[in-house]
Amino acid sequence: MVADVFHSVAAKYDVMNDLMSFGIHRLWKRQTIACSGVRQGHKVLDLAGGTGDLTAKFSELVGESGQVILGDINDSMLRVGRDKLRDLGRVGNIEYVQMNAEALPFPDNSLDVITIAFGLRNVTDKDKALRSMYRVLKPGGRLLVLEFSKTDNEALSKLYDFYSFNILPTMGKLVANDSESYRYLAESIRMHPDQETLKSMMEEAGFEQASYQNLTGGIVALHRGFKF
Amino acid sequence: MWITLLTAVAESALEQLLNKEPALAVQLAATQHKTLAVTLTDLELCCALHYVGEQQGKARCFVYGNYQDQADCHITTTLSTLQELSDPSQLTRLIREEKLDLEGDLQLAQSYSKAFAGLDIDWAEHLSTHLGDAPAQLLVAQCKQAKQRGASHLSILKRTVTQLCQDELNVAVHPLEVRQFKTHTRQLAQQLAALEQRINALSEL
Repeated sequence: MVADVFHSVAAKYDVMNDLMSFGIHRLWKRQTIACSGVRQGHKVLDLAGGTGDLTAKFSELVGESGQVILGDINDSMLRVGRDKLRDLGRVGNIEYVQMNAEALPFPDNSLDVITIAFGLRNVTDKDKALRSMYRVLKPGGRLLVLEFSKTDNEALSKLYDFYSFNILPTMGKLVANDSESYRYLAESIRMHPDQETLKSMMEEAGFEQASYQNLTGGIVALHRGFKF
Repeated sequence: MWITLLTAVAESALEQLLNKEPALAVQLAATQHKTLAVTLTDLELCCALHYVGEQQGKARCFVYGNYQDQADCHITTTLSTLQELSDPSQLTRLIREEKLDLEGDLQLAQSYSKAFAGLDIDWAEHLSTHLGDAPAQLLVAQCKQAKQRGASHLSILKRTVTQLCQDELNVAVHPLEVRQFKTHTRQLAQQLAALEQRINALSEL
């Protein structure tokens, strides 16, 4: 089901992201990069990296001595990301790997930073995925989870619900000719654990100093955890 | 989110500047892949600048807001002191005067300061591609004149305000005098009240 959704939306993914979030997703991703602490020579995994927005920035930050791996379970998304980044001239320090977040194909203690932006809610066994991420991170490494979350502002919540269940599928129908995928998006957001639950899940997986910051009133939250 | 938006705008402007002024990019070559963080204590804000260098023929940099990580050089100061940093030679004086706290690579701060202080943007050259040579030259000359006039007016205004303040200070009553006047008034009021009581007592007789 999830795979079909992303096969369907891959081609229009960037356009729809800009339309749906009014471009704010770029600011959310900027904040993720600012909190990543990525430096020259780092090895970074952009998990569920989709069309490679974060990968593009990370590839500049890690330089020639570093490496960025754009990982996604969906080959259509990966292909769109690879084409986009190659068109931008980002070659040399980026690898594209089709992978399952629940069983990451990397040795233990091998990555400096892992980011997963708007991807964790689509993972079937989130606890297993978090444990897998913890395993492959180096001591001192960090995980950043950027994901839709719960807003505690009642007025904003009502507005957001109306937007998600009425306007979003219509936009999906008009732009990507696919309203079902965007209905799934709204539903999957509601099913995703709230800020505190996800923080506890990260702690249970072994992450230390787990914390989160709400962005845009809690519509999105950025969780961060370290492996020491 | 506003800080993130502002840093995005700053980053975009800085990248444009780096690409239009190759001399700046050359001067910043030594700072490549190094992070300079600045904490402004009065604004409770920590921003960081990370110059990446040339990528696909374009100079790239990152400007972070609310920076929380280790930087190669970390300056802690106030907004007003930051303006003095445009002169690299002032750096050690400001540290000695404890107006500025610097952790990490001093040379990195000096490199950034020197690169931006020595920046001389040829606006006419850049504008000429959009407006043509003559209008661009004219516009820049007019702007320079306006800037000079503005600076001159500002200087006159500063002098006038300073003079006014000094004049006012000369005729203004000193706080000690005000306190003395208050004490006298209070004493007079007490004497008046006593006198009133005596008059009342006498009139009752």
